[in-house]
Amino acid sequence: MSLSIAILVVIFIFSFLVISVKERRKGDIALLAVLINSGLSSWIAIQALQGTPFEEKFYGGTVFGEIIIRADALSGWFILLTNFTMLTGILYGRRYMKAYENRSADITLHYTSYIVNHSAMIGIFCVQNMLGFLCVWELMTLSAFLMIIFEHEKMEVLKAGINYFIQAHISITFLTLAFIWVSSHTGSYDFNSIADYTVQAHPALSFMLFLCFFIGFGIKAGFVPFHTWLPYAHPAAPSHVSGIMSGVIIKLGIFGILRILLLIKVNYIEAGYTILVISVISGVYGVMLAIIQHNVKKLLAYHSIENIGIIGIGIGLGCLGMGHNNSYLAFAGFAGALLHTLNHSLFKSLLFYAAGTVYQAVHTMDIEKLGGLIKKMPKTATLFLIASLAICGLPPFNGFISEFLIYSGLFNGIVANPLSSSIMLVSALFGLVLIGGLAMLCFTKAFGIIFLGAERHPYPAPISEAELPRLFPKYVVALFILFIGLMPQLFIRLLSPVVILFTGSQAISGMPGSFINTLQTVGLSSLAFIILCIIIYQVKQKMTAARKITTSTTWSCGYTPVTPRLQYTANSFVRSYRKLVRPLLMMRKSEGTINEVFPQTTHSDTHPYDRFEAVFIDKPLKSLKRFMGRFDFLQNGSEQFYILYGIAFIIIVIIIPILIDVVVNLINLFKQV
Amino acid sequence: MGILNFILIVAASLFFSGIVIRSKSIFSGRKGPGIFQPVKDVWRLFRKGAVYSETTSFIFRIAPSIYFASVLIAIAMIPFGSQPGLISFKGDFVFFAYILALGKFFNIIGALDTGSSFEGMGASREALYSLLAEPAFFILMGSFALLTGHTSFHEIFGSLHFGSYISYAVGVLAAFVITLITLIENSRMPIDDPKTHLELTMVHEVMILDNSGFDLGLIFQAANLKFAMYGGLIANFFLTPGSELYFSIPIFIATQILFAVVVGFIESFMARFRMNQNPQYIFTLTSISLLIFLGVLLILGKIV
Amino acid sequence: MINILLIAFIISLVHMGLSKRLNTYISVLAFQGILLFGVAFIELIEINVVNLLFVLLETIVFKTIAIPYFLNYVIKKNKITRESDPFLPDFLSVVIITTIIIGSFLLSNTIQDPHIRKIFFVTALSALFTGLYFIISRKKIITHVMGFLIIENGVFVLSLAVGTEMPMLVNIGILLDIFASVLLLGVFVNKIGDILKEQDVDQLRNLKD
Repeated sequence: MSLSIAILVVIFIFSFLVISVKERRKGDIALLAVLINSGLSSWIAIQALQGTPFEEKFYGGTVFGEIIIRADALSGWFILLTNFTMLTGILYGRRYMKAYENRSADITLHYTSYIVNHSAMIGIFCVQNMLGFLCVWELMTLSAFLMIIFEHEKMEVLKAGINYFIQAHISITFLTLAFIWVSSHTGSYDFNSIADYTVQAHPALSFMLFLCFFIGFGIKAGFVPFHTWLPYAHPAAPSHVSGIMSGVIIKLGIFGILRILLLIKVNYIEAGYTILVISVISGVYGVMLAIIQHNVKKLLAYHSIENIGIIGIGIGLGCLGMGHNNSYLAFAGFAGALLHTLNHSLFKSLLFYAAGTVYQAVHTMDIEKLGGLIKKMPKTATLFLIASLAICGLPPFNGFISEFLIYSGLFNGIVANPLSSSIMLVSALFGLVLIGGLAMLCFTKAFGIIFLGAERHPYPAPISEAELPRLFPKYVVALFILFIGLMPQLFIRLLSPVVILFTGSQAISGMPGSFINTLQTVGLSSLAFIILCIIIYQVKQKMTAARKITTSTTWSCGYTPVTPRLQYTANSFVRSYRKLVRPLLMMRKSEGTINEVFPQTTHSDTHPYDRFEAVFIDKPLKSLKRFMGRFDFLQNGSEQFYILYGIAFIIIVIIIPILIDVVVNLINLFKQV
Repeated sequence: MGILNFILIVAASLFFSGIVIRSKSIFSGRKGPGIFQPVKDVWRLFRKGAVYSETTSFIFRIAPSIYFASVLIAIAMIPFGSQPGLISFKGDFVFFAYILALGKFFNIIGALDTGSSFEGMGASREALYSLLAEPAFFILMGSFALLTGHTSFHEIFGSLHFGSYISYAVGVLAAFVITLITLIENSRMPIDDPKTHLELTMVHEVMILDNSGFDLGLIFQAANLKFAMYGGLIANFFLTPGSELYFSIPIFIATQILFAVVVGFIESFMARFRMNQNPQYIFTLTSISLLIFLGVLLILGKIV
Repeated sequence: MINILLIAFIISLVHMGLSKRLNTYISVLAFQGILLFGVAFIELIEINVVNLLFVLLETIVFKTIAIPYFLNYVIKKNKITRESDPFLPDFLSVVIITTIIIGSFLLSNTIQDPHIRKIFFVTALSALFTGLYFIISRKKIITHVMGFLIIENGVFVLSLAVGTEMPMLVNIGILLDIFASVLLLGVFVNKIGDILKEQDVDQLRNLKD
């Protein structure tokens, strides 16, 4: 029995099982389904990465033509990272959902959608028939939507879900357009026909086709200015769903872009510049907006946009390298992008899981009300810290490795490429450094305000650390993060077949070797650093063992003792930054006015808003509503009018051809006269 | 032989701070403390007990150690003329900048851990200023990479040679940029006054208000080490490759002393910038780095 | 003979437009049922016996007996009185219905296909449009149902036109009848009469969102 059929059978059986068992067991059934699916697909993926791609053909009837299922090295890499994150997601999710156990119908739908989503994603990586691809893509969108709106009784969750739904369908419209374009010229639905078509088409047309695909996949990935659904969908979804959305679902867009780059013979330099510009803007904009958010999940969502920008920078660099025949740059760019895809799925999912645990303990997502959680939840705090360090790209964790690869590529590009590209690359370098610095600002704020200090608002219930089953998937992810940071050369070796797909094997014969050596040194240095830290700490413990160590309150310069309300809030932490970039942001302030001489309590609220959203989404929507509002009188609720419209339409449709005939006859008559 | 630079920089850190304070005192007409006084202070702190705040957690206790370790690793990467550092690989200045950033990260969250508004203020300023100073460093290294065609500290300084006038100008500008970066990183004038007593005007000193004992000693010594490290970086400009050891070591020490005196000079004769406009001033560094980049392009003849 | 029956059908449409009383509507519908029975009998005499019996039974049982009985029952149960003033005065109704008939006649003239017999087409189209007109111009909900039944009769006539070649089409026409009677009237008899106290269509306007 072929593997694809096996996966389909698994979906059906387990969905049925999920529906029929009791609530307590539903999560476990879903876990089992995901495990089996992951096992099957990982087996294919590992083989593909080792060099034997997997291929299967189905006959899909006259509509689909021949459906080919191909898994090459690129699919293999993405399948592996998807499986890992989906596994940790369901491991964490079944504990997280325990709080909602009494909503049986919702939970069943949720777990079934999870299984379907996982399988749909594996399908997207492998299906190479255009119609089949669109079907699986739509399936993925629908199941993701169902997962997001789990708490649908809250209005904003529903709105966020519908926002995501609409934008996902705009994305699929672009994809359909591009696919129709190609298939109408070549007559076949196979992906390889894209390659054939673009080889003989005019370069400008190829570039337009590429842009069409890029916009379609870019909406899914979250590039600016297509990102406006991300900051709404991620906070609205349950935490493990946010984790897998940031971790793998938006990577589907990246996969799409990479697959299209493999297939379309576009001018790599132009494509590279386009991707680079958009990515730098996404990265910088994403992190700039992330800093001023005060909802934890929204902050993490904007960070995902930034990391997609970093991945895009890597892809752009790779394209530039291919265009300039600079194999070092090509390897560094693509390897950095692919590795960062893996890294981001790891640390972002870990951040979301930790945030979910915090949320379930304190029931609020507002940073300004948190604080001092590290004393009550030390393990969660440590995991959040590890993930924050990783996301800022600091050694010894994995974020540094992928950023290092991209930096190497950038510097090599500056050195080896012609002048015009050097200037672009310096700008990209500037952008990347800025991103790194801003990310550090953002996560010192996030970690510091949530976990450190004292609580800024009294907590509703006593807080305790999460239990081990909930912590276990996070430990696994954290270990993986550390592992990649200390042993990056293994992953580069794993990645090389994928990069070879892009650049062709003879061009980079020696490349992986030099990278592996460099990264080995990096790994060793990181290890040395960790050992050094431990040594210094031990020295300190030894030297102060005999000394007196006391505790007291925090130093407050001799003034009144410190209260938690004197602490720095998140808003104050970023205030100087916010004043700097004020023209670029849009903040909405509402304040109560102070009139009396001895004022009573008043309030002041500040909400950050997204300028891109205001320009690209709100304005067109408002004009559309105004325009459509003029036709409001047509919908007056009386069914008789509606039937009248129908009759009028029928009469018009019948009469118009007759009228045309009459007019044509008259004209002929006049002509004869 | 990579261990030689390490030892040299550590040795230089012992007297660097002392020379700065001594020169400041001399410039203001006093005699000033001994050159090794700061090191004696650090040693005294190492032997003291500590007082920890109740609001803090384990982060506060490990942050200074991590900061110190990061500075040590960074020092291990500085080359010495033709000798590579203990750690040297392609693109190692990226690792250099990021490991220092790691130290800063822990400094900042250590400050936030105390739950005091003073530390929070210092942490916020420190985060902002360091983020603005980073691009200058990277663009500078990028320009040098472009000039010499190599991407590691050792190879860049190994093949750097000054020929034409423009390259001398570039060299001077680069030294200027590195000096300013040093001043920003260590929170000296003109960004921040180390002798101010007003917490509202502090950047770095206010972050360490609650540290005491061994931790405080670690932080002070780390600051000294950072000074010496950047001094070593500047000294590399003047150490032409291939010179004998009996030439390079005196040049190195002389450069460090000169650097310390210059720092003292700047601190004595310049007032601090207004705190609100610090970000703009720091950002000007990036523009200067861009100028350096253009200069390099001129040198290479890519633009005429 | 068929022509006479169908012309009688068309005239009955005009009669419906004239009157205001619900009982007249019901009796006209029953009459149309009988006419259709006659047409079906003459038209479909060539197809096999079982089908024929089925069609004939359906016409008599449903159109002539069952549906008028249902309608009477609904009217009695909900105590609906005569149709209130429609939107358009009576005279205008007749004019409109006549225009519809003439229009369908003109329209069927433009079709050059020899296989379709014009009289069937004219009847069907006029019944269709008259039914629609009924729905638009009357106020009571029960009259809307009657309008729908007129539309059904028209569709049935059209299906009879090709009944010899495609007997399945006739069966489909019958299914439409059964659908109307079971679903619509069943719903009406049980639910809407209880909920909507008044029988005016204006109440339905409140459903608009």
